[in-house]
Amino acid sequence: MSRREAPLNRVVMALSLVATATWLALPLASVAPNRIVPGTAHTATDLLGWPLALLACLPLVALMALSRRLDRVRCHLALALVLLLLMALPGWLAIASQWLVDPELPQARLGIGAAWWLSLFWLSLMLIELRSRLALVGWRAALLPVVVATAWWLQGAWLGSLALGQELDGRRGDFLEAVVDHLLLVGGAVGASLVLGALIALAMRQSPRVERLGFAVLNFLQTIPSLALFGLLLAPLAWLAARFDWLSAIGVSGIGWAPAFLALLGYSLLPMVRNTHVALSEVDPGVLEAARGMGMGRGQVFRQVRLPLALPVVIEGVRITTVQAIGLTAVAALIGAGGLGSFIFQGLGQAAMDLVLLGALPILAMALVADALLGALARRLDHRRLASPGGAP
Amino acid sequence: MSGRQVNAWAAPLLWLSLLLLLALGGDWLEPLLRWSEPDARRVLYPQADLLTLLVRHVQVVAIASGLAVVIGVGAAILVTRPGGRDFLPLVAQFASMGQTFPPVAVLALAVPVLGFGTWPIIVALLLYGLLPIVRNTLAGLEGVDPAVQEAARGMGMGGAQRLWQVELPLAAPVILAGIRTSVTVNIATAALGATVGASNLGAPIIAGIVNNNTAYILQGALMIGLLALVVDSVFARLLPARQ
Repeated sequence: MSRREAPLNRVVMALSLVATATWLALPLASVAPNRIVPGTAHTATDLLGWPLALLACLPLVALMALSRRLDRVRCHLALALVLLLLMALPGWLAIASQWLVDPELPQARLGIGAAWWLSLFWLSLMLIELRSRLALVGWRAALLPVVVATAWWLQGAWLGSLALGQELDGRRGDFLEAVVDHLLLVGGAVGASLVLGALIALAMRQSPRVERLGFAVLNFLQTIPSLALFGLLLAPLAWLAARFDWLSAIGVSGIGWAPAFLALLGYSLLPMVRNTHVALSEVDPGVLEAARGMGMGRGQVFRQVRLPLALPVVIEGVRITTVQAIGLTAVAALIGAGGLGSFIFQGLGQAAMDLVLLGALPILAMALVADALLGALARRLDHRRLASPGGAP
Repeated sequence: MSGRQVNAWAAPLLWLSLLLLLALGGDWLEPLLRWSEPDARRVLYPQADLLTLLVRHVQVVAIASGLAVVIGVGAAILVTRPGGRDFLPLVAQFASMGQTFPPVAVLALAVPVLGFGTWPIIVALLLYGLLPIVRNTLAGLEGVDPAVQEAARGMGMGGAQRLWQVELPLAAPVILAGIRTSVTVNIATAALGATVGASNLGAPIIAGIVNNNTAYILQGALMIGLLALVVDSVFARLLPARQ
């Protein structure tokens, strides 16, 4: 084993310094007597008092010390510290709600302050950095966010006066319905675009003219602002629904899910077709030649060679499309398609920022989770391909 | 010679004149728009507003993209220097995370902090537009042939000189391509700002959706599309060698 000194890790050092400064200087939480009035902000130091606030900084100081010579053991230690800090984050809000919120005022609510959000952000960056230093992949890497999420969920009971929770309490049923609507729209659009996209990509391989025309149309669709595409579908669909009874019978109308679904499908097609097309056309000709040389027929080559080689790139297309669709579905709330976007726009309309958060945070979480899961799937398939070259029998 | 130059600028000029035509067109556009919305009381979005909205739209995209270029290119340069290399994986990961955050969600989260108006959309666009710029700048700088670097070092160039005279000029086409993607996407995305009270070309679209007036939506959408074409064709002119 080499006795080389492990170098200073500037990233962890810088992030711990910034996190400490954020924690001490910015407001941790705010208290408002009711929903509309802006709250009064409290920093960690005037909430906990200087001794306790400084004590809470100790793990960050320990991280700075560890980062001075970050070898493998210290890296594990640092990871454990960051995990603990992340898991404890809701605890500070629970303490704040114990000390700040007057139990006599049922309307009083606790807002989450900038120091809390930024601490979450810096700690997440540290987690990412340490994870890649330790080269954690697969289930080990996936375990980290799951552990944090579980810890947060367990602390949920003490966060009753959190404004976010109060907004949720009033509309638990609506919230679940919105989540389901959102996921259904995204799933439907991505699923339909996967099938349609594969068909279009296959048709493009047959003729260069179809290829040029197809990409021209899809590129054009992508340049229309999402807001406008939703809007432009209102009138034609309303006209069609008025014209054909069976269309309105299955729920098609100018507003609602139908224009949202069509617009999402239109946007999803370009990344899907592009990736499927690239995936199918960029298979090494040598590999195909070898497969044919082994006596495989056309269909066999497609199923056993082309498809497995193309799959990671296609999944990458699904990832891009899904993340994009999750965001676009939020905009679709403007044309009455439901989903989590409706909370955002309702909240904006009522200037109730906690309601906005109730819509925006799950959308953000969904996008990150979808990105992580599909990214992991693509890497896994790719890995398998590399592990067994020419794995077809 | 000059004839060829005029030809090269033909596409940007064509799109620009169409855009200005829509912004300033006046009453004779009415019959065309009337066709899309036969029953509405009025189909022409107030013209004085359209020009102002166009200017505001350009301003918002320019500020957001300008910041994204400064931050993105700056960060990519810093993490490819010997002193900043530690930060490279994190910056690359953060840039790709920025693209994962849906612009609507960022917009909504920015409103409590920055209030209604123009700033939330600038933040959302900045975050969304960072990835293509960072990714391409990193690719461009890392793609500079080590032999060329070595030769520059052999000629006695210092770090800063190599950056300005060798690395950046060689990486410029790739960096510009990244900026092109970022700006054209942002032109379309900026329309979302109208939902939180920014006045830009998204405003006619929102007005159209609320009042059920397709003609308004068409005007907003066409102007945003033409603006994107103007900018894209200017970039195409600046990047002639790229296939």
